[in-house]
Amino acid sequence: MKKGQEMQSNQRPIKFPPIGADTVPKLLRLRVRELGEKVFMRRKNLGIWKSYTFLQVYEQVRNICLGLLDLGLQEGETITIIGENELETFWTEYAALCARAKVVCVYPDTTPQELEFILDNSETVVVIAEDQEQVDKTLEVRAKLKRLRQIVYWDSRGMWHYNDPILMEFKEIQERGKKYGQKNPEIFDQKIDSGQRGDVAVLSYTSGTTANPKGVVMNHNFLLDNALRIFANLPIKKFTRYLSYLSPAWATEQWFGITLGLLAPFEINFPEEPETIQSNIRELGAALLVFGPRQWESLASSVQSHMLDAGSIRRFFYDLGLKVGYKIAAGETEGKPVNILWFLVFPFADQFILKPLRDNLGLKNCYLPISGGSAMAPDVFRFFHAMGIKLRNAYGCTEAGMFTTHMGNKFNLETLGSWYVSHRDIGPSFESKVTEEGELQVRGGAGFQGYFRNPEATRKAQEDGWFKTGDAVRMTDDGQLIYLDRVADLRQLSNGYKFPPQFIETRLRFSPFIKDAIILGDIEKPYVSALINIDAENTGKWAEKRGIAYSTFPDLSQNEGVRNLISQEIARVNQMLDLKARVKYSINLPKELDPDEAELTRTRKLRREFLEKKYGEMIQNIYGGSKEFLSEIPVKYQDGRTSVVKATVYINPVEPEHPGDSTI
Amino acid sequence: MKKEIQTASSSLAVDKVSLSFGKILVLNNVSFQVYEGEILSIIGPNGAGKTSLLNCLSGFYQPDTGRITYKGEEITKVAIHRRASLGIGRTFQGLQLFPGMTVLNNIMSGRHILMKTNFLQAFLHWPWVHREEIAHREVVEEIIDFLEMEAIRNEVVGNLGYGLRKRIDLARALALEPKILIMDEPMAGMNMEEKEDMARFIIDIEEFKSIPIILVEHDMEVVMDISNRIMVLDWGNVIAEGKPEEIRTNPAVIKAYLGEADEEVNHY
Repeated sequence: MKKGQEMQSNQRPIKFPPIGADTVPKLLRLRVRELGEKVFMRRKNLGIWKSYTFLQVYEQVRNICLGLLDLGLQEGETITIIGENELETFWTEYAALCARAKVVCVYPDTTPQELEFILDNSETVVVIAEDQEQVDKTLEVRAKLKRLRQIVYWDSRGMWHYNDPILMEFKEIQERGKKYGQKNPEIFDQKIDSGQRGDVAVLSYTSGTTANPKGVVMNHNFLLDNALRIFANLPIKKFTRYLSYLSPAWATEQWFGITLGLLAPFEINFPEEPETIQSNIRELGAALLVFGPRQWESLASSVQSHMLDAGSIRRFFYDLGLKVGYKIAAGETEGKPVNILWFLVFPFADQFILKPLRDNLGLKNCYLPISGGSAMAPDVFRFFHAMGIKLRNAYGCTEAGMFTTHMGNKFNLETLGSWYVSHRDIGPSFESKVTEEGELQVRGGAGFQGYFRNPEATRKAQEDGWFKTGDAVRMTDDGQLIYLDRVADLRQLSNGYKFPPQFIETRLRFSPFIKDAIILGDIEKPYVSALINIDAENTGKWAEKRGIAYSTFPDLSQNEGVRNLISQEIARVNQMLDLKARVKYSINLPKELDPDEAELTRTRKLRREFLEKKYGEMIQNIYGGSKEFLSEIPVKYQDGRTSVVKATVYINPVEPEHPGDSTI
Repeated sequence: MKKEIQTASSSLAVDKVSLSFGKILVLNNVSFQVYEGEILSIIGPNGAGKTSLLNCLSGFYQPDTGRITYKGEEITKVAIHRRASLGIGRTFQGLQLFPGMTVLNNIMSGRHILMKTNFLQAFLHWPWVHREEIAHREVVEEIIDFLEMEAIRNEVVGNLGYGLRKRIDLARALALEPKILIMDEPMAGMNMEEKEDMARFIIDIEEFKSIPIILVEHDMEVVMDISNRIMVLDWGNVIAEGKPEEIRTNPAVIKAYLGEADEEVNHY
């Protein structure tokens, strides 16, 4: 492997489709003209899937757009949408883009403080909120927002006695739009015509693991660039059944759902409720799914936990089928040699065991399952591949777009996949390099547009025209990347050894008994240790099976059997690591990590600095040589009350799996 | 947000109702009114006669003396199933669901009294039977949406937790489109989060459907939070009636609950 200023220019012959539009609204209008009566969106409401054709969606978008204009929305002003993925979310985004306004989408579980920062930073004038919960949050912080003129909501439940003049029902916007359109029939088309590819379309706020979120500017060119990258490099089929699940607050959904949804186009489906997603996937037979690693991991662990519950006969067949699946998948994807006998058994295993398994997960028709957002352990990919679900990783960043994905039939699971090629009309060709420090830098395509109202951060993120991703990677000889960690998160032990904490964490999380892991170790520490958040459900089941009695989460986590179990799981991961990077001691946290306490971000990434401060006492003890100690952890309940979890916490040495076997 | 209740429009009136089992006097000359658009809570220590009173209202028990009038008509002697079709809905303290059926079918059973199809027609499943079923299903789906039960629609009730079963019980009571809703300890055995959800639903029902709700509940925090008025029973006697803040400081109530008037009352 060569390091340093080696530049990668990704020239592969790729056929691009003609775009025919340089902004998202123009693309929408084009698709409506081509495919008017075709179904574009579907939503399950009152138990029935209801369809909307391109023309019907267009009609809605027009009314909402004109309604917003009637309310005085100016070009370049900002609209914020806060709610689950629903028809209204997409309609409103298209409508605001048609009006040449900027759009911010916010996660529905954002706290009022985060919301206030985003609304203020983005200069939002109108908030479109889903329901009472979101309206209440916005009302709570409105006093400090001088620009905010209107709060619109589309679910009127619980809103019957609100009479604040700043509030307006979504229906009223649509009604106003209709009337406005009768008086000004030309204006909607004029607005779309006047749109420029360089107009700012979306501000995507990055989750901010360390500081306040930053609003990444995305113009139309950038959105189209990324949708085109995906469309031209992956086998995307026309009218693919797509289930919109990732929040559009995340750039990935802006590219896949909002833009690619039009470009391909897709049939975009919206789940009835976030909780019904699993059964909705199955009803639909969704063909393209983009989930974060957390969702895939929880899907895998739900299969595993159901099988823990199953009877011995079922488990026998499941194990058998999966064994055959693993062998065949290893041959097909990773090119490993496979004994011919496995090919003979495979059709039976597939028909009677693996296919029903896929069907149960609702992934029978899924031709393109994708995991994106952060790194996922190869074991999780292998598990899905064994079931016959060809899960692929997608890698990119909000600021510079999609970088790589596992493409084709054969790919290396340890790497992040092959590079995307950008459309030549969009900008200079897309290039990448890895610096001396191991940081990935990219340039080309539509390019990084900067952070909104944050010139300092914008300047810091670039160097000689290259965008600094901040990701530590290793480049293989054929130009593919292996993701290690964030550069800032690579850590050095007191003996000078640099190790990637996230790399270890990702692999630990694959254990059904581990929900989260915080890997410790820095320049003052001689070895690596771990704080483990056990998976209460699976570990609880495991304990019940063995007749281990426990009362609460703290009790379960400190149970001797459970501690041994977790130690074994860590030892298994240790086998994959360099001797110096191995986890030596671990503690099972007596309390679950919770985004409401700011321990995790909304996408369930660890807030490391905060955690290391909060659990400082534990960290001291883990390196202090004691065997057990009494810990006190403050907790905050959802209703704002606080309390303290007190528990005796044990420090568990991670035994090597084969004692004496210390040279690997 | 608590609103002022129009005391003029009475929905249900109980006039000097007494009930005894053998020599035990369970209700002694109980009188009260339920007004349109209010949440009236009935509280009292164990054995105060709360459930017996509810059973008189819904017709399980016949009071020995006294009258119960509903929207101006006397219903003291009206049979239970007739009261249901008059629009008196109730939920139960113990769960009275069909554990082997799905959530959807349990709620559909609440539509029974509104169905016109008879047994034979249902068996033959003629087109109009099918149409009627769809119409009822629509109402039920709206209730499912209202009580946020989409994810458990097709689950068998026996597999669900206690908090959800309570919600299904409420959904079924709503399915008969009640004009007044009687709830017997809707929060018993629930955890904090389930209680908050249920309290929210009760307020939403009252606001959205504008029907009066009679609530029997032990959880004082919830009662004080969501009731417009509270009536306190002790040994079959009404010992107090009024707004939550009045009840909170009423010495007779404190005595009934704690035995001594000078003890701490902070646990409210």
